[in-house]
Amino acid sequence: MGNERDEKDKALFDPGNMLFVFYVGVVMGLIFLAMVVDGRAAVDRGNRGEFNLSEVQQGELLFTGTSEGKYLPAPQLSQDVEIYVSGMAARTMVRQRFLNSSKEWQEAIYVFPLPDESAVDRLRMRVGERVIEGEIREKIEARKIYEQARKEGKKASLLAQERPNIFTMSVANIGPGEEVEVEIEYQQVVGLADGVFSLRFPMVVGPRYIPGSPLKENGEQGAIHFAGSGWSLDTDQVADASRITPPVAIGAENKLNPVRLMVELAAGFPVAGVESLYHGITVSDEARGTKLIRFSGEVMADRDFVLEWKAEKMQSPHAALFTENRGGNDYLLLMLMPPEGENTDKVLARELIFVLDTSGSMAGPSIIQARAALVLAISRLHEYDRFNVIEFNSTARKLFPKAEAANVENRDRAVRFVESLQVDGGTEIASALNLALDGRQNNERIRQVIFLTDGCVGNEETLLAMIGSRLGDSRLFTVGIGSAPNSYFMSRAAAMGRGSFTYIGKIAEVQEKMMALFQKLEHPAVISLSVVDSKGQPMEYYPDPIPDLYQGEPLVISLKLPEQSDGLQITGSLGGQLWQEQVHTQTAARRPGVATLWARKKIRALMDSLALGGEKSEIREKVLETALEHHLVSRYTSLVAVEKQASRPQEQRVRQAALKTNLPQGWQADKIFGGTSRTATPAALHLFMGGLFLLAALLLVRRNRRAGV
Amino acid sequence: MKEWLLRMTAFVLLVSGSLLFADGCWIKAKAVLAQHLLHRAWEHTLQRGEPTKAWPWADTWPMARLRVERLGVDLIVLEGESGEVLAFGPGHIPRSSEPSADGHCVLAGHRDTSFRFLQELQVDDSISLQSRDGEWYSYSVRATAIGEADRLYLEESDLPCLTLLTCYPFAALDSRTNLRYLVFADRIPG
Repeated sequence: MGNERDEKDKALFDPGNMLFVFYVGVVMGLIFLAMVVDGRAAVDRGNRGEFNLSEVQQGELLFTGTSEGKYLPAPQLSQDVEIYVSGMAARTMVRQRFLNSSKEWQEAIYVFPLPDESAVDRLRMRVGERVIEGEIREKIEARKIYEQARKEGKKASLLAQERPNIFTMSVANIGPGEEVEVEIEYQQVVGLADGVFSLRFPMVVGPRYIPGSPLKENGEQGAIHFAGSGWSLDTDQVADASRITPPVAIGAENKLNPVRLMVELAAGFPVAGVESLYHGITVSDEARGTKLIRFSGEVMADRDFVLEWKAEKMQSPHAALFTENRGGNDYLLLMLMPPEGENTDKVLARELIFVLDTSGSMAGPSIIQARAALVLAISRLHEYDRFNVIEFNSTARKLFPKAEAANVENRDRAVRFVESLQVDGGTEIASALNLALDGRQNNERIRQVIFLTDGCVGNEETLLAMIGSRLGDSRLFTVGIGSAPNSYFMSRAAAMGRGSFTYIGKIAEVQEKMMALFQKLEHPAVISLSVVDSKGQPMEYYPDPIPDLYQGEPLVISLKLPEQSDGLQITGSLGGQLWQEQVHTQTAARRPGVATLWARKKIRALMDSLALGGEKSEIREKVLETALEHHLVSRYTSLVAVEKQASRPQEQRVRQAALKTNLPQGWQADKIFGGTSRTATPAALHLFMGGLFLLAALLLVRRNRRAGV
Repeated sequence: MKEWLLRMTAFVLLVSGSLLFADGCWIKAKAVLAQHLLHRAWEHTLQRGEPTKAWPWADTWPMARLRVERLGVDLIVLEGESGEVLAFGPGHIPRSSEPSADGHCVLAGHRDTSFRFLQELQVDDSISLQSRDGEWYSYSVRATAIGEADRLYLEESDLPCLTLLTCYPFAALDSRTNLRYLVFADRIPG
């Protein structure tokens, strides 16, 4: 028996057999690996029963109509955009036509972007000859009205704001083969920087969302669909359905959702050049200096439309004032260029405090970027500037006990200090803020604090409160570094610190972006701005406080004039001197939409204060009041239009269809993880490969030994 | 000559195999050990009401406690989503909502350590999250899904909801995958 076993063991451990086992092991490993790869394919296959991938990948607008896996083409959408520019203001009309080419009644849901700070105040629904004007309602109430109409078979449309620049249009009860047209209008201010006026209309073909897990007729929750081109979860509510929205194949969509665009440009001054940054346009001259701009040829609807224009040389306006009377109140829109002349050429002496985050989360490219940015900043300092460098991780420390003159010696010392910095430890921003902000008023110098960090902090509210109390007249500029800086905290901190937030995502961007920031910071034009009316009474104006002006940037404020007031007075500090400007309002040009813009800016200011920790219910009340008075869509108000008569017979069902959408704000998974997968560790692979290697080593050793015997 | 070559190969294989094996074990062990320290830090956090680090040089802090009774899961969630954070436990995507706020809270974890249990979660399972103020919030799993990372998009929301995210497939050896496994849950009011 014993001998037999020995024989058997010997046979098993025979080098030939061992090699065989080794090969079997390798082959099995390969098979296992193949299975892993196959596992991905299995995912696709597993869902194919419920979702036809190939169909979706073609970029057709499909939606899952029923639980049996039957698809209906979603209503087709075509859009007409007409933009009327008048001086500093622009009014845009977007006409969306939803055509239901299916044989069933449908509800169309379309999520789309509009420019930031667009004041949407009009919704009109056209059904054949009938025009139904939309009314402004509290958001929940508007939705109830809409749902009710949908149930009763009436045509209805609802325009709700998801984000300040993302809106949802829902159109209920579009009959088979029928077309419903919806018009929305909004007001906005055109951009102006360095003498170039600009206007943007967003039309990126972003992600579309497909109701993924439709509620079945009996209310039972269906299975989740996953499609190669996109997927999402569905409930009976739009808000929920849009939680996840996949992007859409660019290109194929263009013909499905065509956009026609027209701009009528009445700049109010001789225009030198009109330019479209990303689209081919044709420009024609109309009466009284007005220009008409249209798309020429095929339109690429895969990027935003941006139009820029300039005034003819020496004709560039230095101030503009528009007014509108609404409800007995005078509203103003004022644009003012900072004065140019001897005072602004003089570069002001500054005190710069650079704060650099050297915590563990800055490891890798982040700290390299940050160091490069700081060295650049230090090299740009002037002899008469003062500066200091603070680094912080678990604790904070200063380079100099107090800010020193930026002479060659000190600059060299600072560069050596910065280049020697290593990352380690936690992110104690509080101690750094404590060192950087002194709460003092500096009359002879402008104090700018430049804060480079990834903002990995947990006690945001405490820090913001600290900035508020210790700021003094310093200005705080936050620079977000790395793949995923806490932009939310840093933009709030910059707003609190009356500065700005710069985001640097790629190492290649450091030079360019930091240069732009430093150049801007070197030329503050007018600071500490405030406005009172001609009698010295305070006014309600936005933005409040008015941000500092830098060279080339105009001041654009929306004001509400107190009663019996005929002018206003702007005060600021220019090159250390008092700067004052009187504005008489009698001569202002009357323009509709000025009041709407004021209301929109007020809502924006209120929403900002919410983000800065304001009382939620109180702010909600104020926003609601303003939005309802000015007929504006906001976070708490929606526009709803309902047809009086029902058009859908009660026995027929209505199906929901979601249309393609552009990218709203949120978190994209590959952005979150910096484009690489990080929710898996190489542990399994290492264990497997390690085991394999050890096995192979064992075999070789044994073989060697046998060979040696 | 041949023998020498074999010996060298065996040696190289032995060393690299041991190192790889040890690294694999270390990744797993780290996740387990860290959770012990984190649970202690969490107790401190609850008592003091402010972020407490589990070890002095940590660049993150516990921000919530995650429990799934049915599966016996009890994890401390860390703030952040970097590789350094996820090595120790699930991480909270910084710009997503806190559990205590009405909004979309997104947590990410490794598929082979902290979030391995996601594959066993089923619709209607109950998930509990304890926020820093000690309050417990219950969520009910609404759905699970698989998506491609570069096409995956989690939207901000005013409604209280929770999304758990990990890599997919669970059993894969290769850590470079574009697929993500997601669990969506809605807060149960009350």
